[in-house]
Formats: sequence, C-alpha cells, structure tokens
Amino acid sequence: MPYFFIHTQEKKLSKIFVTGMGAISAIGNSVAENRTALIEEKSGIGKLTLFASAYADKRPCGEIKISTTSLKEKLSAHEPGVTRTTLLALHAFEEAIFDSGLNAEELGAPDTAFINATTVGGMCLTDELYHDANKTEDGSPYLSSYDCGSVALYIRDRYKIGGIVNTINTACSSSANAIMYGARLIHHGLAKRVIVGGTDSLAKFTINGFNALHILSPELCAPFDKDRKGLNLGEGAAYLVLEREQDIHNRQPYAQLTGYGNTNDAFHPSSISEQGDGPFLAMQQALHVAKIAADKIDSINAHGTGTENNDETESRAMLRVFGSPPAFASTKSYIGHTLGAAGAIEAVYSVLNIYRQEIYPSLQFKEPIQSTLLEPVLNYKKMQVNHVMSNSFGFGGNCTSLIFSKA
Amino acid sequence: MLYIHRTACISPQQSFGEVDIERLNESVENKLHAVEPKYEGIPPGLLRRMGKAVRIGVGAALPLIKQSHMPDGIIIGTANGGMEDCIKFLNQIIEYEEGMLTPGNFVQSTPNAIASQVSLMTANKNYNITHVHRGLAFENAIIDALMHVRENPSHSYLLGAVDEISAYNYNIDYLDGWYKRESVSNKTLYTTNSPASLAGEGAAMFLVSGKPENAIAKLSAMHTIHTGDEDLVREQLKNFVANNLTGNQQIDLFITGENGDNRLQKYYDACEDIVSTDTTIARFKHMSGEFPTASALALWIACWLVQHQQLPSHMIKKSSNQNQTEQILIYNNYKGTQHSFMLVSKI
Repeated sequence: MPYFFIHTQEKKLSKIFVTGMGAISAIGNSVAENRTALIEEKSGIGKLTLFASAYADKRPCGEIKISTTSLKEKLSAHEPGVTRTTLLALHAFEEAIFDSGLNAEELGAPDTAFINATTVGGMCLTDELYHDANKTEDGSPYLSSYDCGSVALYIRDRYKIGGIVNTINTACSSSANAIMYGARLIHHGLAKRVIVGGTDSLAKFTINGFNALHILSPELCAPFDKDRKGLNLGEGAAYLVLEREQDIHNRQPYAQLTGYGNTNDAFHPSSISEQGDGPFLAMQQALHVAKIAADKIDSINAHGTGTENNDETESRAMLRVFGSPPAFASTKSYIGHTLGAAGAIEAVYSVLNIYRQEIYPSLQFKEPIQSTLLEPVLNYKKMQVNHVMSNSFGFGGNCTSLIFSKA
Repeated sequence: MLYIHRTACISPQQSFGEVDIERLNESVENKLHAVEPKYEGIPPGLLRRMGKAVRIGVGAALPLIKQSHMPDGIIIGTANGGMEDCIKFLNQIIEYEEGMLTPGNFVQSTPNAIASQVSLMTANKNYNITHVHRGLAFENAIIDALMHVRENPSHSYLLGAVDEISAYNYNIDYLDGWYKRESVSNKTLYTTNSPASLAGEGAAMFLVSGKPENAIAKLSAMHTIHTGDEDLVREQLKNFVANNLTGNQQIDLFITGENGDNRLQKYYDACEDIVSTDTTIARFKHMSGEFPTASALALWIACWLVQHQQLPSHMIKKSSNQNQTEQILIYNNYKGTQHSFMLVSKI
C-alpha cells in the first residue's frame, strides 16, 4: 500500500495559490523572457563557454549567457564566497518576491518560510574545492560555500527571512520536493507564505558525472524521440511564492497548487524500473491529493530528459496512469536538464500553461519510441488548460509529481 | 507530537547493539570516528562499494526496519552525505584531466544516496526525502516527520540523520576555523578556552509515529532559528519552554551542544540562564564531536536517558537534586548561526 495523504483532521485545508514567480535559464533572464522563447520555439542549448572543459565542444549545454562577475554586479552581491549557484538563485528569488509584492516586513515575519533545493551548491567551483579539500593551508574565500545549504543561508541573511528555512536534495526531483514541502508547511499552519524553488549552475563535476554514466548527448537532446542520445545539462533557478487563499485579498493569483506526490522507485541507484513504478505511483498520488481523475489533466510537463531509460519508462508510467495520455512535452529540449532547478523551472512553465491558456511544444522530436508510440506536443497552441501535471524523477529513485490548477 | 518507538545509533561511542555510554571512547588526532559494527544484512559486495555515510546510515536504519512493518516514509537529514565519494570523484576529474571516469563515486556522492539505498534495499516505494540544510538538516527532517504523523497518525516513518568525517570536509572546516589547531582530547574539550571544536560523525535513526502505544519517548516540540543574536535565542528558548510545558511540569535535564568553541560559549551561557537550579545541565559533544547533524545524536541520547534513567557522569556539567529524568530540553547550535530546541519526554 503506497503512502497516501489522508486528511485525518477534518479541518478543511486552505487553498494554496501561486502569487509570484521568478525564473532564469538558458532561454531567458525572467519569466517573461522564458515564455517568449517557449512560444517562439527557441532552444538555449549550445556550446559550453562558461569554463574550460574537455567536453566543451562535445556535449552541448544550456548555459546562461551572463558571466558570474556580471551577475555579482547586477545583484550587488559582492560578499566573498558568493557562488554562481547562489547568484542564479538570488536573481530568480528577487524576481519572484517583487512579482508577488512581498515586502521586508512580510519576509521577516516568523510565518514566512523559504525552501530551497540544489544538488550542486558551491561545487561549481571545481578548482577551489579541489584545493580546499586536499590542502591544509591557504584556504580560498569559498570555504563556507560548497555545501547545498550555503545558498539558502545567503538568501536568508540577505532578506532576513523569519520563518522555517530549509534545503532539499533529492537529485533531479529536488525543487519539486521543495514546492511540496512548502505547501505542506502552509497546510499545517507552520507558515502562511512560502518561497519555494531551486537552483543549480553548470559544473565540471556534474558534466563529468553524467558523462561517466554515458547519458550526456553529443547532440541537442531529443526527448521522447526513438533515436534520442541522452540529456544535455543546463543551469538555472526558479522560485514560486505560495500563499493561502485567505491572505491574497484582491490580488489575482497565477494558479493553484492542488496536488503532489512523492515516491521512490526502489529499483536502481541511477535508472528507473522498466514499468516506471515510482513515476506511476507519484503521478497517481498527486491526482489523489488533488482529488481529480486522471482524465482531467490537460497537459503534462514531462520529466523527459532525453535518456534511453527515462523517456521510455516515463512513457510507460504515463500509459499506466492515463491510458491515453493528454498533451505532453519536455521543456528540457529548450534549457537542458537543470537538475536541482528543473522541478521549479518546469513548475513555472506549468503555471504559465494555466495562466496564459497555452502549451509549449517539445523540440527535436521526429519519431516515437517503438514500444510506446507516444508523441509529444509539436506546435505551440492556445487551448483550455485547467489542470497541469509536472513530473520530476531523480537518481536514487526519487520521484515527485505536482499538479497546478486554474485558480 | 512525535512518538519514538525504536532507535539505533552508530556513533563514536558504544551506542549500537550492546549500548554502554558510561564508558567514554577517546578522540584520536582531534577526531571522534564512528565505531562501526559488523554489518549484518548488507551483502559484502554492496557493503564494499558504500562510502562511510551510506554505510553507517544504512547500517543504523536496517535493524529498525527489520523489526517492524514497512515504514510509510523515509526521511533523512544530512548536510553533506557521501563527502568522501564526492571529493574522490572531483580528484579524478582534476587528476585525469576529465578523462574516462568511473561513475561509482559520483552516484554514491549524492546526499540522497542514503535514503534511496534504504528504500532500494527494503523495496520501499513510499515517501522518500533528504534534507540537507547544514546545521538544521535533521531538524527539517523532524518537521517533515511531524507533518506526516499529523496527516496519518497510525503510519510510521523512518526518521534519521547521518554525517561523516572525510579527510576532505575535515580539511575544509579546518581551514575555515571550525576544528581546533592544537591537539585536544575529548576528555578535556570543555576546558580548552580556545576557538573551534573536535570533528565528529555518526548516524542516528528513529522509528516514529503519532501513536503512543509501545513508544519509548515522545518528542513534544521542536523549534529552529537562524540568527547570530544570543539574546534572541534566549528569548525564544524561554517562550518555547513556556509554550510547551504545562503548569506542574519542569525541565529535569537540559542537554546542550556546548562544543569547546569559546566563540560560541555566549549562546550556551544565555540558554543555561533560563533553567532553574532544579535542572541538571549536561553536554554531549565530547561523545559525538561536532558535525552538522550532531543534534540527532543528542535526541538518541535523550531517548536512552528517559528509558534507562542513568545519566553518565562524564555528561554532567551542573548537577541538581533531580533523580528522575522525565522532561529533557535539548539546545543545539551549529557555527553560531543555526539553532534548535527539542523537548523530549518520558512516556
């Protein structure tokens, strides 16, 4: 019997609304720029130029074309030890809080929580970390910046966030879990408003890690295509402000967060089971929490990394849940796999699906996988979107699905 | 309210199997290394590939799961996870100039490897998460578990924390001034009057639910703060105690995370200030060493004490005429910026 969210307390749960969003990725430095690229079907994946790597010409990446120095300038973040991962987070965080109109007093209130996710943290500083971990003299300015917690701690100090602050790392599903945790804090009265999301920057560490697993594509990734050759890594950050229905007054929310499910595939450290048990259970659970039938989902932002294993098992799991799956696409074909940021960036895109009543196509798809024959959405279109599911599955079998609905 | 039903702990002290915390194992070269048991139930081939964090985490978790039905969730706190594997992989990247690398260390290095390995080995497809918020990673795992048992009181959850000393994170924290420069024994940790502490590691696991039947202890409340202000910590601790104790209850034992770092002493002095002379004050960092999830070891010790009512003399900082230990308050602090309070009671 899988875990289910059973409301034993009969108290009616508050509706949770998305009231602010911020995003930065290879296709844009704001939510609006990201949306424009999605509509125009412009991929941001290309040659790695940020740092020297043996794979710069061989493995395309979704990098953000702003140097770390320019980000520091732009954000007035000159403290020694601030990393690119933190700067990307700060960029998206500021857009989100400005968008929702949260003021300093609200940020500092004990019922404002900040839940971050990251898998790379300060490990983007490969050379500094190599030095500091292997030597016992001449420490770099980054000694307190390598761990995952360093990002949230910097933002907490900068904005004096008064409530619960946390960092989650469940590999590629990290920020989907940050969103779920934040929503549950609100349901339990442990926070009134939460800022939730994630960040990751490109790093030699992850490029070499995924390359060693033979799942980095030498070409632009082609999610759900029969001849897909793997994933492209990307970088980015996104945050959403979630608030209770009774607190938003006259402001127009973007969407409602209605469902979430977290399961483990319990099959293999770095691949998903053939029938996609973990993804199947996560989607099923999210529907159960949202209290809607599978056929109410209008579109799915798939995990769709472009690897042999993910796309086939995710397809099987979608077939198991939906019979005939609704419109689905992988926006990783625009920005690459942004790891700890992926769940949050894709949550922003899912919320845009609802708020703008439109869906974005998958790029590079030509022919369907033989065993499942599923075709993603191939053209931008306006359509009625009431419920969107967003999938995030990670190493270690960590699977999370979210559902956003029309407010 | 979290009811704790079973516990297991692999620490630098004799805390696993035949527990003996009266005897104090000594630190070696400013480090308190975990005493690793003979791991049963882990296939040798798999055990060899596990880094220490995964090994002690899985090693402490499996006995709890074996004794009960399938937990409805696995909730782990770890600041760094498999740091040793992480830097081993990093070193390969640099030393082989991004040549052909084997992915083993990379896969083991992700902090979620502990929770996911437990799921994998026990075929557990339920809720699974890893909190990594440095000195409050375990506390956020507690908040997660508290929400789960409120949602489903009859469900049970594996809650725990793990962190390891690797040569690498030792170097990083040493350079950053968190481990003592001079040679110090844990037996004299509290009299050093110098900055920094001793390195430590460990894994503590708890099987928790919302049901009091057959529980060994109760975690009645938990609170976290991010601040550098000792007065704010004292105020919040005072409120925490006032809000969570009823009229005739009192704190019998106050366990603090005092760690021999004279820069952090002001926090412990401020907090000790709020308890009465009827409260015994005790410390535990000489047993565990300092690491981001050391508060999980304090919780394990508190569970042991309410059950066995024997406070080792080496833990006592200030004794009182209290001979019953029913209510335990824990205050921990990581690097002077992340603070937590826990209230543990006898059933």
